[in-house]
Amino acid sequence: MAAERSEKAAALVQRLPQKVNRQMVLSLAACAHCGLCTDQCHYVLANPGDVTYSPAYKGDRLRKLFKAHLDWTGRVIPWWVGARSVYTDEELEELKDTVFGKCTNCRRCSLNCPMGVDLATFNRMARGLLVHVGVMPDGVAHVAKDQWEIGNQMGVLQEDYLETLAWMEEELQSQYNDPNIKIPIDKEDANVFYTINPREAKYDPRTIADAAAIFHFAGENWTMGSDGWDMTNFGLFNGDDELGGAVAARVYDAVERLRARKLVISECGHGLRSTMCEGPNWAKRDLTFPAETSVFTMLNYIKEGRIKVDKSRNPEPVTYHDSCNLARSCGITEEPRELLQLVCSDFREMHPNRAENFCCTGGGGAMSMSEYSPRRLKSAKVKADQLKATGAKIVVTSCHNCVDGLFDLIRHYKLDMEVKQLVTLTAKALVLPQAAAAGAGSP
Amino acid sequence: MNQTSPLLQFAENLLQIVALLFMATVYTLKIRWILRFPQGKDRQAPRGVSSGPQGAKTSLLAIAMPWTMGSTRDHWFLYVQFVIFHIGVAGSIAMSFIIPYAPGVMRGPGVVLALQILFLAAAIVGLIRLVRRLGSSYMRSISSPDDYFSMCLLIVWLVFSALAAPNNPQVGEGPLLAYFFLTAFFLVYVPFSKISHYLYYPFARWYLGRTLGHRGVYPLVKGA
Repeated sequence: MAAERSEKAAALVQRLPQKVNRQMVLSLAACAHCGLCTDQCHYVLANPGDVTYSPAYKGDRLRKLFKAHLDWTGRVIPWWVGARSVYTDEELEELKDTVFGKCTNCRRCSLNCPMGVDLATFNRMARGLLVHVGVMPDGVAHVAKDQWEIGNQMGVLQEDYLETLAWMEEELQSQYNDPNIKIPIDKEDANVFYTINPREAKYDPRTIADAAAIFHFAGENWTMGSDGWDMTNFGLFNGDDELGGAVAARVYDAVERLRARKLVISECGHGLRSTMCEGPNWAKRDLTFPAETSVFTMLNYIKEGRIKVDKSRNPEPVTYHDSCNLARSCGITEEPRELLQLVCSDFREMHPNRAENFCCTGGGGAMSMSEYSPRRLKSAKVKADQLKATGAKIVVTSCHNCVDGLFDLIRHYKLDMEVKQLVTLTAKALVLPQAAAAGAGSP
Repeated sequence: MNQTSPLLQFAENLLQIVALLFMATVYTLKIRWILRFPQGKDRQAPRGVSSGPQGAKTSLLAIAMPWTMGSTRDHWFLYVQFVIFHIGVAGSIAMSFIIPYAPGVMRGPGVVLALQILFLAAAIVGLIRLVRRLGSSYMRSISSPDDYFSMCLLIVWLVFSALAAPNNPQVGEGPLLAYFFLTAFFLVYVPFSKISHYLYYPFARWYLGRTLGHRGVYPLVKGA
């Protein structure tokens, strides 16, 4: 007699075929169970002996489902090929614990798989299946709801956002004693449409002011939007392509509505990946404008002589943490280093680095899942050791999630370090034109 | 002139052709099945000096460049095992065509000895891999009966490959018969087992490499 399936399990199984594409099928079929991915995962390194953290084990949760429902060998001889479906809500909860609580989708295992199996994509897909049937950590549900309903993942209301921009504009005018410094909003035909992480508006508005100062002194024709200003995208984390597409489309619509020539995305790993790389696929539209990270924009301003910087203003030893999304999914590893070398006088490389770097442990939406914090912080030992070995006093990163993740682990492991972003260091290194310098106060 | 029994003649020729045709048919059906799934698109603008095809090339060559991946760099002994094992398997497959159709290629005693050493080395590696699969809790947690059976099948097949390599039916047809019947079984079983990863992995690598090359991730930039 066939086993009874719960309503949620049945809905998940029904959803499965719609989520699988050719790349995934080949990836699922190519895994040879060689286990070489095992010690490439920071969770495994911090939890030796616990097999449930191994990337292949986590990937196998989805492979078992795939075999059971989409591959006929799994339907005919399931026990032989390790096929297994889901039947109960408890099994869904167990799957939730694995794919949300034991993986940050950092993609380090994917890049280290000899077969080219994209295990992180399996994990994201499994998350998407669970979200489809309403099984997810509470934090994930809340953030996704805010992003669907309010338009940004931190639930920042438009009036609060605009008020923050006005406040930062006043701060800048006062700091540089220059009433002409503006944070333009909804300016049409600008060269640059600047989008941010709502975390900046809510907790760290100084980064908005720093970026505004850089745009101002570079003489940029730029604007921010009253709408479509959040470039973060929880669709990347919860595996919901519909949410991903809708959020990305809000940004694209705002750029097109204002006829801006270029989209510049503030320093955020998942925001950049979602908006620049995955967003067009989720939203099923080709971008009519170029998009880039603000790291490129700042670097180009220096190279083109539009702003001048003095690296001696950042004399403390700094190291750079590569965001997983930037390094392993967007290929951005060299430009941040180039910029750091220009604005800091003592840069120290972390090992391993670039695409081989370890996750900060705050990725994949982990910061919104407080129930898994103890696990996250335990696995952060790997990163803490990396940081400590550099002897740096500042760890720089181009990602807001990494800022939070690193801040947490620095506190937990009592490291004598602080976390900064490139925009902060670049603004600090700015050499102002003479007239502006005469009027400027201390930052 | 070699005198071989009708059974060995059947095992060397017709049985192999039927098994190969069966495998080709199943693969054709599998390809049709895979093509039913929609192909994901890369709509984002290309980035960096690389490109999709370049990334795909880098990705495909990664298996031959163990220094490019931490997993193979850190486990060089496992990588060496992988190389020996797969060269042994490829050699044995080649031998199943050479013995019936071009036996002259294996006439020299040095060639036979080299093949026997290769097959036995591959069989020993297979045994080591089986012990690793049984002994490691990580490996056990991801292994299905098919994983164990496939490994056992290959070990036995490689041992009989070594015994059959002299291709001397006058001394006894047993090793040759066992080798060819095992080869036929192998060909029939492969499409249904994890062994077929050899067929899928180039495509998995190609797709991953194409995307990562398009985005400027591949070729990876090595750190200082």
